[in-house]
Amino acid sequence: MSDLAITGVGAYAPRLRIDADAFAEAWGRFEASGVERKAVAEADEDTLTMAAAAAGRALDAAGIDGDELAGLSLATTTPPLAEEELVVRLGSMLGAPGTATHHQFTASTRAGMRALAAALDAERSPMLVVAADCPRAEPPDEREHAAGAGAAAFVLTPGEGARVVAHGEYTTPRPGERFRESGDDRVQGLGVTSYDRAVFHDALAGAAADAGIDEPDVSAAAVQAPDGKRPYRATGPLGVDSEAIQTCATVQDLGDTGAASVPLSLARALADDHDRVLAAAYGSGAGADVFLVETETPVAAELAIEGDLDLSYPEYLRRRGDLDGQDPEGGGAYVPVPTWKRSLAQRHRLVAGRCPECGALAFPPEGACTDCGALVQYDAVTLPGHGTVEAVTRIGRGGAPPEFATQQVRSGAFGVVVVAFDGPDGGVVSAPAQVTDHDPEADGELAVGDRVEAVVRRVYTQENVTRYGFKVRPADD
Amino acid sequence: MRDAYVVGAGQSDFGSFPDESYRSLFRSAFEHALDGTAVEPDDVDEATIGTLGVGGRQLGLPGPAVTEHVGLDGIPTTRVENACAASGYAVRQGVQAIRSGMADLVLAGGVEVMTDVSSDAVRYWLGVSGETEWERLSGTTFAGVYAQMASAHMREYGTTVDQLSHVAVKNHANGAKNPHAQLGFECSLEDASSAPTVADPLTLYHCCPTTDGAAAVLLASEDAVDRFTDARVRVAGVGAGSDRVGLFQRDTYSGVPASRRAADTAYERAGAGPEDLDFAEVHDCFAIAELMAYEDIGLCERGEAGPYIASGATRPDGETPVNTSGGLKSKGHPIGATGAGQVVEAFDQLTGGAGDRQLDAPEVGLTHNVGGSGGAAVVHLLEREHDWSDVEDGEVTA
Repeated sequence: MSDLAITGVGAYAPRLRIDADAFAEAWGRFEASGVERKAVAEADEDTLTMAAAAAGRALDAAGIDGDELAGLSLATTTPPLAEEELVVRLGSMLGAPGTATHHQFTASTRAGMRALAAALDAERSPMLVVAADCPRAEPPDEREHAAGAGAAAFVLTPGEGARVVAHGEYTTPRPGERFRESGDDRVQGLGVTSYDRAVFHDALAGAAADAGIDEPDVSAAAVQAPDGKRPYRATGPLGVDSEAIQTCATVQDLGDTGAASVPLSLARALADDHDRVLAAAYGSGAGADVFLVETETPVAAELAIEGDLDLSYPEYLRRRGDLDGQDPEGGGAYVPVPTWKRSLAQRHRLVAGRCPECGALAFPPEGACTDCGALVQYDAVTLPGHGTVEAVTRIGRGGAPPEFATQQVRSGAFGVVVVAFDGPDGGVVSAPAQVTDHDPEADGELAVGDRVEAVVRRVYTQENVTRYGFKVRPADD
Repeated sequence: MRDAYVVGAGQSDFGSFPDESYRSLFRSAFEHALDGTAVEPDDVDEATIGTLGVGGRQLGLPGPAVTEHVGLDGIPTTRVENACAASGYAVRQGVQAIRSGMADLVLAGGVEVMTDVSSDAVRYWLGVSGETEWERLSGTTFAGVYAQMASAHMREYGTTVDQLSHVAVKNHANGAKNPHAQLGFECSLEDASSAPTVADPLTLYHCCPTTDGAAAVLLASEDAVDRFTDARVRVAGVGAGSDRVGLFQRDTYSGVPASRRAADTAYERAGAGPEDLDFAEVHDCFAIAELMAYEDIGLCERGEAGPYIASGATRPDGETPVNTSGGLKSKGHPIGATGAGQVVEAFDQLTGGAGDRQLDAPEVGLTHNVGGSGGAAVVHLLEREHDWSDVEDGEVTA
């Protein structure tokens, strides 16, 4: 097997949650067995921003900077664009070199583990594998009731950590179980119960056999979870018990996280120091991958998958954009895409400047120094991303520029602050930022003096091009 | 350098006028400016016109578009755009033309039509005067930026929401006496403080309305002034300043450095100080802007604006009345016409033409006009040179 080991793990799930009860109230019944609540992406989140959040944590855990990466892979069944390699923008957000291999895996919920398999086969390191997903389906559909959101990321290096000691795969043609038509953003299925169950069982059994795994004797098993019940139907073919599945399952709290389902459970198992873990991914079509992972030394992990804000069903529909109105008239501030591109280092990674004359920080790093006035070429410095609120307001609907109207329909009022970001070696530099992940009713008012941290989110979409950039959220420090 | 005089000043009604065009509004202002003067259209040597772009319909050549409409074909006409300080700067440019000797009579004015575009388009046109790439794309427009300034002022100095509301109460009371005002009704402190929030902590009553309107000022050289009027109002001092367009790049969020520079310069040129003012028209697009203006033009110390307004010092019967016109809050804020409109009120006060708002024989007034959230500011000091004994029923008689 590969020389590479998993040496850092990160995971992220949005803070928003909806309870199964809220669905049951709206629909009379809840169709996703075993899902108690699920994670819901904010209006300014998608698979790319979730991937960046998980990836940043994995890199932190492994002690690796983005610019050291030799390659990265993004796996998702729900890329915000059907064509265009979003992994390239992910690389920009992480600061990966342009010469690093950038691969994108999609079209199946086993894409996350396919990406891991491919990374292990590649002779490059360090490698980063990220899986992020937020599937959706028609409102009454059982797949929609189950559909959750989350991301997991793994750093692979030659060091000690968790090693894949066996891998097997298996495919068998079974159309119609779960699929998404071209141009549609909602998965569907024929709902032929026995057919669906059989293919899940058969594919996983085939992959386990290919890996040579019979009785794996593991304490944790990360198994594909399109709902909360399906993984337990695989105990037989995988030779694991229900407890092993349950110990690292995330579906009951996050819902169906698609391509990130198995990676999230694997991340949890590694974070919990399980030393022998089975990972079994299934994707419709159908195919399966089964891995046996052994841990030599504990894997550094940074998981942020707890939710803290419950939504009602109408709030959930708003977040998903099901209640959007018309696009507003009047356009928005026209910042052409090439202009936006010139500021990506600032938007994606908070790259500021240091004045070579007086040492003051400048943001953005262009024009004359705001401190000494010298017209200089700045030295690039990356801000760590924490700062203090210097001025604050909260913008209600009708008060924001038109390009934020759609976001406000989905998630309501938002804060806007001027933040004094900490410099890497002392000093501060101010920048305006939208506040995300903050609800005054649940979290209290944001005030001058509060600490915040930067996260990359969707800023706005114009000419069908979504611009991603930093926002801030309340921080504990 | 020759002195410049305001010999006439007039404005249209400010408000929402679906049946008027930006040109017909400008005509109304121009005709009012001619009233009581001996100026004939042929006397006008040049024009400077402030406008942000009347909602985008005339971005190119809006200057000639309005001067041709009032029969001033052929004269040099320049459009001046400095966001909400457009026509304040137009007046300054007119003074420059006179002082330099290039013109003896200049028409300086401004016009805007904002109420016939959708509310989204209004936010677009207001928002483009902010720092676009960073500030605006953090999701804020001017109300948000001024609200941020309010948050900093409150944090630094303990300024309160009720103190902000005093601005609305005073300016509505003044505007109720101004027949040109858009929102000529009075409001209570309770009305202002409990109104719906626009951008926390600013309520609806802490924000000026969207307005159509035009204002025009006739400026004459010292060599020509006596040909046109007996009501000699001298432009005693002019000051202007600029700053970083984005709030986040400035030294302070609780004041407007450009205003301070503009006021300091105007005082210095006039050989005067804030203690010499009998009244002021200041830029109160949001209540916090008026409070910061008090500090920036020196009516009170930094941080003292809240208690200062609450003391009644800026009411018509106070030590320095501010915004007797009703200000942007009550009179209205037709962006490109606002700065010239402030000069109209100052001229009316100094010539006894302010009707029910008339102060008791003021001698020196100040106008203070801010562009954007403080990216540009311009201040004029205007001084009466005629005798008040010449004034009868609001008309200069001698």
